[in-house]
Amino acid sequence: MPKAMRPAGAALLRAVGMRLLGGIPVFLLVTFAATALADLMPGSAAQAILGDTATPEQIAALNARYGYDLPVWERYGHWLWRLLHGDLGETLFSRQPVAGLLLDRALVTFQIAFLAMGLSLLVSLPLAMLAASRPGGALDNALRAVTSLMLSVPTFVIVVMLGFLFAIVLRWLPATGWVAFTEDPLGNLESAILPVLCLSAHQAATFYRVGRSEILAVLQEDYIQVARAKGLPLRHILLRHALRPALPQLLAVMGLSMTYLLGGSFIVESYFAVPGIGWTVLAAVSSHDLPVMQAILALTVAIFVVVFILVDLGYALIDPRIEVA
Amino acid sequence: MRPPHTPSGTEAGPAPLGAALPWTARLRLPRGGLSEWLSGGFLLALVLGAVFVEAIPGLAGPEFPWGDFSQPPEWSLNGLLGTDPLGRSILSRVLHGARTTLTITLLATAIALGAGLLLGMLAGFYRGMVERAVDLYANAVAALPPILVILALVAVVGNSVLTMTLALGLLDIGTYARVAKGGAIAQGERDYILAARAMGASDGRLLLREILPNLLPSLTALVPPLMAGLIVTEGSLSFLGYGIPPPAPSWGGMVASSTDLLDRFPLLVVGPILAIVLTVYALNTVGDALARRLGGRDRAA
Repeated sequence: MPKAMRPAGAALLRAVGMRLLGGIPVFLLVTFAATALADLMPGSAAQAILGDTATPEQIAALNARYGYDLPVWERYGHWLWRLLHGDLGETLFSRQPVAGLLLDRALVTFQIAFLAMGLSLLVSLPLAMLAASRPGGALDNALRAVTSLMLSVPTFVIVVMLGFLFAIVLRWLPATGWVAFTEDPLGNLESAILPVLCLSAHQAATFYRVGRSEILAVLQEDYIQVARAKGLPLRHILLRHALRPALPQLLAVMGLSMTYLLGGSFIVESYFAVPGIGWTVLAAVSSHDLPVMQAILALTVAIFVVVFILVDLGYALIDPRIEVA
Repeated sequence: MRPPHTPSGTEAGPAPLGAALPWTARLRLPRGGLSEWLSGGFLLALVLGAVFVEAIPGLAGPEFPWGDFSQPPEWSLNGLLGTDPLGRSILSRVLHGARTTLTITLLATAIALGAGLLLGMLAGFYRGMVERAVDLYANAVAALPPILVILALVAVVGNSVLTMTLALGLLDIGTYARVAKGGAIAQGERDYILAARAMGASDGRLLLREILPNLLPSLTALVPPLMAGLIVTEGSLSFLGYGIPPPAPSWGGMVASSTDLLDRFPLLVVGPILAIVLTVYALNTVGDALARRLGGRDRAA
């Protein structure tokens, strides 16, 4: 980690620019691959999408709308050109604009992802601080066992087990369904509880492990010994002196876990019938809705690039000495 | 992604086998905790069960009814984990499911490890354009959730065992390549490489005889956790209905097909859930043990 002292502003701006520039090739590669997907289809893409019963006129109409008979470069050029005008095309069958559809669905997924992120931090960080302040203690050992078990339970198993517990045995929560926030804020929160709990299990375990090992390392530092010798209470030391140096590593893990949260949303949204991104993708797979698929791949990469820029900015905010590389 | 959790694990390096030791020293089993031994034993039993499932006397076929539907576990070979909604033996289906899952993930790992090792070594040794291309690929795959990548492929070519194997292989190439690249760069700066080069060793010899053996420990330690990840991805897709096509038994598919009946027959999901959780746990435990022993944990992230 570079330690050079620099005034933050300009250097930071340059770093963000570098990240953006680095993200562009990745974005282009993924979206190009997404365009090329249609060429992997057996036979002609339009025929494969419409099925065996399609008439030549229907196939010609689909090709006219989406250009599946054009070479991949041309299709990609068109797609990029339209993207620059904020147009992601139309969905295959219902002919809705993809951009508007995705915006609605993404808000649902983001709501669940952010709540899950917040909940797991709230649960894991205090536990991590407690465990790190007494390494090898009963709490530390118990939590190590619990987290390694939790990290071995796939999301689709968590979903089935928590759904069984809360919706069938205890009957506290609705088993499936989603209430929009604009309709009924309380109902929205209630329908979000199970999805959020399911996504949080892994997150909390991961954050706990990273947080514990980072805080444990910080607690070995001399300045902590000084603070202890001064007689500062442990709680003060943990919150004021030990937490902040542990944050950059946590932030990096939070950034990486965005991919996990998006991946987990496929399972959670399909099981609890939540109309988010994952749900949309699953519907798009069975109807061969390539425009939606392509838009979601693009959106995912864009989110990834933005998240890493935010992580960089977060580093600089936590520790102004860090020159973001 | 796998954070280190014990500072005490760092002291155990690979023990040098001195010439003074009797040859039987090589046969001595490595030290390990109880959970590591149990995990290793479980994986061995699972592999044996999956390989010889056809030869187990009296075990019913995975696709034919054996008894009443949705029965709880009972004390008999076929009923050990109960029967599924169609009356088929869950134990038989779990073992046949293990066969499919292990075959797919092992093949995918072989593809990913082979290609990743080759690309990573070339990238770390020659740098330049090869390195850029490998980095680009690794970054692109890292930016996407594995499930999304496979779903995108399934949307165009349909789900089959072949699609799943190739897709899972493609996913992990980037990770193996990145680690191999890091190792190759670190090794390439060592004096012994310079010495070998000065003695006239060719690039091929440097890569295969000097660099490759030094990369193997850290890559070996990477295999179990990445395989666990592939098993989870395969299970998730089968759970969603886009993994292994239905008549064949798969753990994810078995869980999915029982969820509608959970309110009346909650024991239906116990077999497949135990199978996948224990397998992933065992692989992670063995992976941690390998990483500690091979000293590759610093690169396991």
